[in-house]
Amino acid sequence: MLRSLLTNPMALPVVFPLLAGLVCLLLPNAASRLRVWLAALAAIVVLAFVWPLFQQAGQTWNPLPWLTLRTDLLSVFILLGVAFFGLVVAVYSVGYMKDRPHQRAYFTYLLWTLGISCGVVLANDLLILLVCWGFLALILYLMAGLSGPGAAEAARKSLMIIGGSDALMLLGILIYWHLAGTTRMDGAALALDGPLAYMAFLTLLAGAFAKAGAVPFHSWVPSFGEKVDAPVSAFLPASLDKLLGIYLLTRLVLDLFIPTPGMYGMLMLLGAVTVIAAVLMALVQHDLKRLLSFHAVSQVGYMILGIGTGTAIGLAGGLFHMLNNTVYKSALFLGAGMVEKQTGTTDLDRLGGLAKLMPVTFIVCTIAALSISGIPPLNGFASKWMIYQGIISSGDNGSFAWVLWLAVAMLGSALTLASFVKVLHATFLCKPSVEIRQMEISEKKGSMLLPMIVLALLCVVFGVYAFQVPLGFLIFPVVAVTVPGVWWSGLATVLILLAVIVGIGLYWLTMRGGKLRRMRTYIGGEQMQDVYLSNDEPGPLRHVEVTGVDFYDTIEQVPGLHRYYALMKDRVFDIYEFLKRSADYFVQMLRALHTGILPSYLRWFVAGLLLVVWVVTMEGR
Amino acid sequence: MFGMNTDVQAMIPMFVAVPLGMSLLIQLVARHRQVLAETLNIAAMMALVVMSWSTIGGEGIYHLGGWPTPVGIDMRMDALTTLLLLVVSIVGFAVSVYAVDYMRRFTSTSHFYSLFMLMVTGMNGVILAGDLFNLYVFLEVAAIASYSLVAFGCAHEELEASFKYIVLGSLSSALILTGVALVYGITGTLNLGHIAERIAESGMDEPLLLAFGLFIVGFGFKSALVPFHAWLPDAHPSAPAPVSAMLSGVLIKAIGIYVLARLAFNVFGISESALEMLRWLGVLSMVVGGLLAVGQKDIKRLFAFSSISQVGFMVLGLGLGSPLGMVGALYHLVNHSMFKSLLFLNAGAVEYTTGTRDLNQLGGLNGRMPVTGATSLIGSMSIAGLPPFNGFWSKLIIVLACIEGGYYMLATVAVLVSIITLAYQLKVQRMAFFAALPEALKNLRREPPMMSLAMILLAVGCVALSLLMFSGLRDPWLIGTAQQVLSAGAFGG
Repeated sequence: MLRSLLTNPMALPVVFPLLAGLVCLLLPNAASRLRVWLAALAAIVVLAFVWPLFQQAGQTWNPLPWLTLRTDLLSVFILLGVAFFGLVVAVYSVGYMKDRPHQRAYFTYLLWTLGISCGVVLANDLLILLVCWGFLALILYLMAGLSGPGAAEAARKSLMIIGGSDALMLLGILIYWHLAGTTRMDGAALALDGPLAYMAFLTLLAGAFAKAGAVPFHSWVPSFGEKVDAPVSAFLPASLDKLLGIYLLTRLVLDLFIPTPGMYGMLMLLGAVTVIAAVLMALVQHDLKRLLSFHAVSQVGYMILGIGTGTAIGLAGGLFHMLNNTVYKSALFLGAGMVEKQTGTTDLDRLGGLAKLMPVTFIVCTIAALSISGIPPLNGFASKWMIYQGIISSGDNGSFAWVLWLAVAMLGSALTLASFVKVLHATFLCKPSVEIRQMEISEKKGSMLLPMIVLALLCVVFGVYAFQVPLGFLIFPVVAVTVPGVWWSGLATVLILLAVIVGIGLYWLTMRGGKLRRMRTYIGGEQMQDVYLSNDEPGPLRHVEVTGVDFYDTIEQVPGLHRYYALMKDRVFDIYEFLKRSADYFVQMLRALHTGILPSYLRWFVAGLLLVVWVVTMEGR
Repeated sequence: MFGMNTDVQAMIPMFVAVPLGMSLLIQLVARHRQVLAETLNIAAMMALVVMSWSTIGGEGIYHLGGWPTPVGIDMRMDALTTLLLLVVSIVGFAVSVYAVDYMRRFTSTSHFYSLFMLMVTGMNGVILAGDLFNLYVFLEVAAIASYSLVAFGCAHEELEASFKYIVLGSLSSALILTGVALVYGITGTLNLGHIAERIAESGMDEPLLLAFGLFIVGFGFKSALVPFHAWLPDAHPSAPAPVSAMLSGVLIKAIGIYVLARLAFNVFGISESALEMLRWLGVLSMVVGGLLAVGQKDIKRLFAFSSISQVGFMVLGLGLGSPLGMVGALYHLVNHSMFKSLLFLNAGAVEYTTGTRDLNQLGGLNGRMPVTGATSLIGSMSIAGLPPFNGFWSKLIIVLACIEGGYYMLATVAVLVSIITLAYQLKVQRMAFFAALPEALKNLRREPPMMSLAMILLAVGCVALSLLMFSGLRDPWLIGTAQQVLSAGAFGG
């Protein structure tokens, strides 16, 4: 048994990182550089272990009655993603973690997360999956803890939501066991033909949603992303948790259950709500990492929309979007991490002008931002295009709900672009803030830049060669589809490049013509005064600047949205806060009863005595 | 079915004799010698661990003084008693190790160790008693020892808690004694096996049912089921931490749930309506205890309410009346004794170094008290039922038993309470161990070595128990035991 654990090709991606993590834990503090490189090396080895599994899907390994591992085309695709992003983050962390505390714990957790995530994907038994799932939640909590006391509340909220959904999943799995007679995942799919089956489906769905960060279980993602170090966010909520959450969702609708049209409708509704609700919040954020986290939520909506269409193309699009999202979202988080490492802040009001100082980060972030906004020919567009196709073909059954979903999806895309214009402007393009001007900033860390560049290149390659590379290799083996819409990415790329060249040409011509008028900055129809005004808060005088963020605050004043933002500020839609408040009501009621007065306790005692005796002696009468 | 293994038989009375003798010995020779008292206490607990370990798989009846059954006193041992003895001695051992450092703050610690040994005597006696009257006597030995131990600090709060505990506890003991009298009056015997035989022959008439009801209330009180729970949140936090760990970890089970299960299943034979009532009591305790735990600021009080909630899980498992439910209940009992005593020891370590139990005044202890931080995280995750820790598996079995029995609502409630459990445990984790270290606690010392050792021991126990599910020990320890509990007439002959 032990021997086969160490040699079986399916066990290796799980066992090896666990052992490597243990080595990282045991290495003395003095060997910190060794540990860092060991972790990166281990991540490469994991990728090497995963590769043969990827090439030969469809294996089963059943060493013990309760332990079965299996690969199919879906799981090897996810597995490859897990291993790849593990490697990306491990390499990035080499530079990021330099001179930072808690290195020992950080790299141990990183490798353990990697191994156990592989376990989730390889598990052929829902209980094994759940055990790995719960362990991941714990490590996520511990990793958040490494970011210091400031992350305490975020860590608690995350584990509360994910751990709570674990409990729900346990209920779902046990009901599934009761109905299907097995917890193995390669059995026949269960029809949703009664309240119990629905309960199993919905509770398992809650687990997938909580992990992926979809409405209504999303609220841990923004807190986590804001407070926790950027590479951890890039690794967990932005990539691994998306992969695993969407993996479970896909398994649920494809292999474990036969969803009804009503359930598909619900999925699409939740997907659409996720897209819009989160992107509206992203628009008004002032913190780069928090803004990105809201997009991490919003983008899940697209995946759920795609999978919820119940069509092959939608499913393929959802999976493709999951892949793309992990690529550009981790690029953005890693970029944010670079900004934070160099400037010490991610507050958009205090950044600016970084394009010249950090050119590589700027270019990477721009490509990723365009990609997430669905600008052709980048990868975000390719997958969104497929999801749109899926939404349209979901109308084949005669319902017209697809028009609404399509409109929502497209609006979400536009708003995403709007918020990233803000990000790019406020971080990189606008006038540098006073603080930035006083800093010595450079992006020297090669180990941090390399992963970002690779991810940016992937954004381009996955877009331009969408059919040849990602879809052909990864997605279409899982879901065989013929794409009905006409989209020639090659031709489009040429046309877009042409348009860009023409645009630059026109700009150059206009500039040369000298027909350019330079004006002072206006705000609200009035000329900007270049004066110092006193801040609201006590402190030194502040120079009034247009940070590129203020404009977006006006969105909060828009009549219809005003109410939404007010409710969001009150955290009405945050399931964590909601449950906390509801529970608190009962808690206070019960506490009021426990006065500590002995006679009242005696009264309860006597009442309970009478009741028990009455019930027990009932059968004698 | 009772194989007469003479080795085991000879060992049975020692489970009572060793702690009882040690209790006296400590007073005789170690009254003013603290180190000797500590050593004797640890030695006795270690002996009990070895003894209970060596009786695994043994069964037998011991006739005290060689008198035959109806005349003399019987002590009997089977799989369930062995399981309980093992739990009592392992937790007791860890607590004794812990007490070496912890009790240094108190005066006249030899009294503490004597009372502690008496409490263990009482519990072991209850577990092994073969007749109702001796069961009652040992119950009172354990209860009275615990009344004094709760008041050991002798401050206002401790005395008040102990007073409430005595008043309510005496009431429940009186009910139990009334029940004993009723049973004797009707069946003419106090021997548990004989009572079971008589009931099997002539059925339960009304006075016997009344006695059964009194037993449920009496032992429901000892196991702190809602609405008989009100003493626990005062008594358990007021005691010194090692005692809190014993009270919440094992006492409420040894003299509460164990006896309840014994009487209900092996002696009286429980009816469906009584089972349903047990389920309701269980669910009520789970929900009320859990919600109240969320609202607490005192770390030990929070854990005390959590005990009420977790006892609810066990009683729910019992109330299902199915083998699976019984396995879940017993497994959860064993698990809870590990993680709850661990958590109380953690709370004690926090109080020991910081001088406060108020969560609002704590914070950032992970950096200062790494052993307490790490072990309390293991304890918290275990009790919250996060996979792969031991609490997860016992809750899994209880929820599965609910579903198999067709009680889907109960299964849902059990899962929701386990989310509530996660909520209050994370509250402790965040407020005590995680959040920023308050200015007042900047100069904290680490936890003393013996305390660390005890906490590590119990944390390892939590992890090891989760492996029980997958080891060869699962069948004899849990499933065999549960079958034995459920087979009516296991106490015959």
